[in-house]
Amino acid sequence: MISSIRVNLLKWLIVPLLLINFVGGGLTYWLAWAPAQIAFDQGLADTVWALMSRLSNNHGTIVIDLPPQAEQVLRVNHVDLVYFTVRDSEGKTIVGDNDFPSLQLPASSDEPFAYDGSMHGELIRIITLKTKMGSELISIGVAETDKKRAHIRAKIFFALLILEGLLTLISITIVWFAVTKGLLPLKKLKSNLDARNYNDLSSVKQDHVPLELRPVINAINGLLSKVQMDASARQNFLANVAHQLRTPLAGLKTQIEWLTQKHENDHDTSQSAKLMMTSTERMIRQTNQLLVLARAEPGQFACIDLETVELNKLIEESVQHFVEMARKKEIDLGFDLKSVSVLGDRFLLRDMIDNLIDNALRYTPRHGLVTVSCFNNSDHSVFSVEDSGPGIPASERDKIFNRFYRLSDQVAGSGLGLSIVRDIAKDHHAEIILTSGPNGTGASISVQFNQ
Amino acid sequence: MHVLLVEDDSVLSDGIARILKSYGIVVDIIDNGNDVESILRRTEIDVIVLDIGLPGIDGFEVVRRLRAQGNDLPVLLLTARDAIQDRVHGLELGADDYLIKPFATPELVARIRALARRHHPKPVELNIGGLSLDTFSRRAMVHDQSIELSVREWAVLEYLMQQASRVVSKQQIIDAILPWGEEVTLNAVEVYVSRVRLKIAAAGIVIRTIRGFGYMLEKLEP
Repeated sequence: MISSIRVNLLKWLIVPLLLINFVGGGLTYWLAWAPAQIAFDQGLADTVWALMSRLSNNHGTIVIDLPPQAEQVLRVNHVDLVYFTVRDSEGKTIVGDNDFPSLQLPASSDEPFAYDGSMHGELIRIITLKTKMGSELISIGVAETDKKRAHIRAKIFFALLILEGLLTLISITIVWFAVTKGLLPLKKLKSNLDARNYNDLSSVKQDHVPLELRPVINAINGLLSKVQMDASARQNFLANVAHQLRTPLAGLKTQIEWLTQKHENDHDTSQSAKLMMTSTERMIRQTNQLLVLARAEPGQFACIDLETVELNKLIEESVQHFVEMARKKEIDLGFDLKSVSVLGDRFLLRDMIDNLIDNALRYTPRHGLVTVSCFNNSDHSVFSVEDSGPGIPASERDKIFNRFYRLSDQVAGSGLGLSIVRDIAKDHHAEIILTSGPNGTGASISVQFNQ
Repeated sequence: MHVLLVEDDSVLSDGIARILKSYGIVVDIIDNGNDVESILRRTEIDVIVLDIGLPGIDGFEVVRRLRAQGNDLPVLLLTARDAIQDRVHGLELGADDYLIKPFATPELVARIRALARRHHPKPVELNIGGLSLDTFSRRAMVHDQSIELSVREWAVLEYLMQQASRVVSKQQIIDAILPWGEEVTLNAVEVYVSRVRLKIAAAGIVIRTIRGFGYMLEKLEP
């Protein structure tokens, strides 16, 4: 079973509290009942004394002066029945109830002794006394039924039950709140960590964190910095590999270009050369994408200086390449460029533009239409690419920005393009808006920069 | 035209040399930066194409030394790194342009030609398909048949020929044909281009319209 701090705390606080309450309740009951019992016993003892005062030793014979009225007075009681007996040293009843149970006498004379007994199947309280009357040792027993005592006991018991119940309830509530409040920093830390971006490897802030959590946070931060170091080493490695590949790829490309030129009249050779070129172009694209990916990582972006970039000028730099690409697919590639400036990283923005146009051209079928535009609206600077391709189903719109996610296997692509766009947009605090094209067909992806 | 190519990757330098030769450009290849000066002493060079990552002294150092000696030969840097520091550093040291590997060779050729022209503006004969422009005598011929062009039409066509196979924006055309800053609207450019199109229709050349952007002159595919 998973151990829980909350459950443990509650267990270790509430169980002892309940025990203490229980014992305390028992003790209080006893404290409340004992004086009452003593008072009742004293009342009963008074009857014993009263009875004794009626006895006398008349030359060796014990006589009692108890007229019926006096006996009536003795036996008077609102609730309980009162019994009594006076016995001689041999245990013979001199006066009183014959069926009074046998007496447990106190050790010393003239000291009343109280104990519980039963008579006629009822619980009774008995007071006994022994006394010397002349040479005769007599014993007196007075008893009353338990009714009023039971009544008082029940009253005390229920009062205590309510009191202790309330106390228990209140203490459990307090403990519950205290534990919840005590665990709040943990919860806050958790939601803090939950709210983090998957690529946010900055250390967790220590402010307002209780002393006890600091070692944990230190450990987390230590781990984060290790991960960060590893991530940046990986990015550097990626960037290095990409750079190292560029020169041989450039060599390969120029050689194939020359071969294509040289054999343009030899159909077979030129066909083969063109295929080699296609592969080479793909390798180049993939290599560049890896490089951009390494560069666009938000962690890396922090160290880049921002500058004012003219978006329309930047798009113009990309035109040449894409006009050629569009011509091969006979796509009508058009532009609508207004003068737009944004604050950002020139090279990342260029990568973003290239990826979006490239994507549109890739997914738009032959003889389609792609329009690239940039403009300012009331709140934003907008870069937008519209195409007449198949469009992006609403169900896929969240997924297409994931790395290596591809909408269609029919189209060659790295699956990195849009994730790069997302990273770069994030770097620039820009928002990506995905909609259908102007006539409800195709796709329109626009990036909105805050002005 | 004579280009000095400084590149230590032999496959790449061989490829570039072959391509440049096919464009009628003479190429000298060396694989390190130390020999640049001695070559420049011996040979008349128009443009240097210089790799940054060279053994011995690197491309940056070569440019720095050239400029320190007062040599203003156009330098085109080739780089495998596109970090902003590298590019800015190269241009600050006095390089004229840069190209990131891998590149499209028409782009390389166009840039080399642009650098050479800027350095030595001399009249040349431009030939594409059946069209030839003699910039000295300012005569335009389509399949040896002379055609008549207005001054503006000539300027537009000359610029498009110089930038053949490259996309040029309307604004670039305006800037190129009116260096003195005379007023010409974007619509006027469209008019000139459409007139030029009619006049060179038989030359096997097409001036493609890039919607909302500009034009690209290229040889018609057979």
